[in-house]
Amino acid sequence: MSGVALPAHRRIVLPRLGVADLAGAAIVLGMVMLILAGASLSPYSATAFNPMHSLEAPSLAFPFGTDEFGRDVFSRVLAGARPTLLLAVGAAALGVALGTVTGLTAGYRQGPVDETIMRFMDALMSFPGLILAMLVVVMLGPAPINVVAAIALVFWPRSARLVRSIVVDLAHREFIEAARSRGERASFILFRELLPNVLPIIVVDFSLRVTSGVLLAASLAYLGIGVTPPTPAWGLMVRDGQQFIEIAPWLVVFPCLAIALASIGTVLLGERLRHRLALPGGGRAQ
Amino acid sequence: MQALGFILRRVLLLVVVLFAVSVLTFAIVNVLPGDVATAVLGDMATPDQVLAVRKTLGLDQPLAERYLRWLLGVLQGDFGRSLQHGQPIGPILMGRLGNSAILGLITLAIAAPLAVALGVMAALKPGGVLDRVIGGIAVGAYALPEYVIGLFGILAFSIWWPVLPGSSLMDPNENPLARPEALILPIGVLITGMLAFISQVTRASMIQVMGSAYIRTAVLKGVPRWRVVMKHAMPNLLPPTIAEIGMYFGYVIGGLVVVETLFSYAGLGQLVTNAVSYRDVPVIQAVVLIVAAAYGIGNLLADVAALLMNPRLRS
Repeated sequence: MSGVALPAHRRIVLPRLGVADLAGAAIVLGMVMLILAGASLSPYSATAFNPMHSLEAPSLAFPFGTDEFGRDVFSRVLAGARPTLLLAVGAAALGVALGTVTGLTAGYRQGPVDETIMRFMDALMSFPGLILAMLVVVMLGPAPINVVAAIALVFWPRSARLVRSIVVDLAHREFIEAARSRGERASFILFRELLPNVLPIIVVDFSLRVTSGVLLAASLAYLGIGVTPPTPAWGLMVRDGQQFIEIAPWLVVFPCLAIALASIGTVLLGERLRHRLALPGGGRAQ
Repeated sequence: MQALGFILRRVLLLVVVLFAVSVLTFAIVNVLPGDVATAVLGDMATPDQVLAVRKTLGLDQPLAERYLRWLLGVLQGDFGRSLQHGQPIGPILMGRLGNSAILGLITLAIAAPLAVALGVMAALKPGGVLDRVIGGIAVGAYALPEYVIGLFGILAFSIWWPVLPGSSLMDPNENPLARPEALILPIGVLITGMLAFISQVTRASMIQVMGSAYIRTAVLKGVPRWRVVMKHAMPNLLPPTIAEIGMYFGYVIGGLVVVETLFSYAGLGQLVTNAVSYRDVPVIQAVVLIVAAAYGIGNLLADVAALLMNPRLRS
């Protein structure tokens, strides 16, 4: 699939980093293990109050210190990995799936169907991503599933546009003509003939969406949208800890580092994937 | 003449997009499951309260009629009343819009030329030390949310080494330029985010331009290197780069929301996050519409600028 031109605005070329690619894989693997291991790794409860140990600096007993309610920041950071990554992966999967089906249909059918679908996608894309996600979560109410839906809505038109741009070219190739003259059903052509040809692009798109998803979910949580205390979400921990930044900087430093690690890990892994599949370009969904 | 036609078509398209945006915004607020009145009051509201709020918001009237009334109001600058303050939203919006524009435009004025310069420098020797350093920083800046960069900035420059204010807290009607030192950190954060993207996009286009035959001819003719870059490559590099910067406005706007909230800067972003915590739906609806309009106009301006720089399309 090399030589397929991605839309220009989706291109961001990062230099090859060698060791860094492995680091990306290691970070993501570490987080997956963390999610699978669940709460068993945490030394303390992520939500139970412990007023005896309020706002303690990092020590052997509390490696990342404690917050104003005496909760162990280390345990909360560990617990925060699960919601952040599950949200990001869920939203990326839903958004890319919707985008793939829409993009396949629009690119294959063309004509008025294509026009109608793509103008609707354009309208969705004329909202800045964060603003659209914000509006949707506020209207649907704070729940993880609503955050997934909102972020997927941001990804949907962008994935659809990408898939369509490739399918439009493929639709005129001989193998599609052949399938049509054999009398195959449209669903067969879409999912058995066209889908395998766009799959590498979809895989890379998905990995980039996961990174964007981590960033969007963390930004929404920081703005206090979609999650409610005492849920240990990284963005929310930063938001709550910010008022103590002068006396207890560990409250913001460690969740910030966790977000940084998660997003850098997914970025590096996505880049590695892109090189492996030899695709030009990548991009950030906004 | 060709250019004028393009601009005209582009303006018409913007009008269509803005109309679609108004419909979608209205639809998300009014048609999605989850009623505005419940969103305003929370889950604990009694049926009587819900009924009362529905009445004040005019929710008991037909949907199409409400949309038309809202749209006509917006076109005349009437965005309804804030539920939190009871004041008309229009005037609040305008002051905030100005403040956000100050932040966004200063960022753009510094970041765009700087990022293009960095991208060009990186592209002159792909794989070289400079390229790797710029690329490495870009990966970091690209992967970090603005508030993470911002909080580390606050820790570094207003707590550990206190030289800059860590907050831009101000009266919404105050001129933000009156305290320029309070703008340095927020603008620094926004610039960092923009540098990452634009420098890498520029780098990619520059490598492509530098590989083309006419550049090789110029080099072989013995034209000095700086002249090849500035006079020969730049005119071909800038139009696509400017168009890409336009595409990037949406990201800048998202960044503005986060940065304004982080630094308590009285712009549109802070207004909307405040409105979210008070569930002030009319304000949220108004800000979303204004922001999407600003995004569309920004895109349009970038396209027109790219067009004016391209002599082939200008004639």
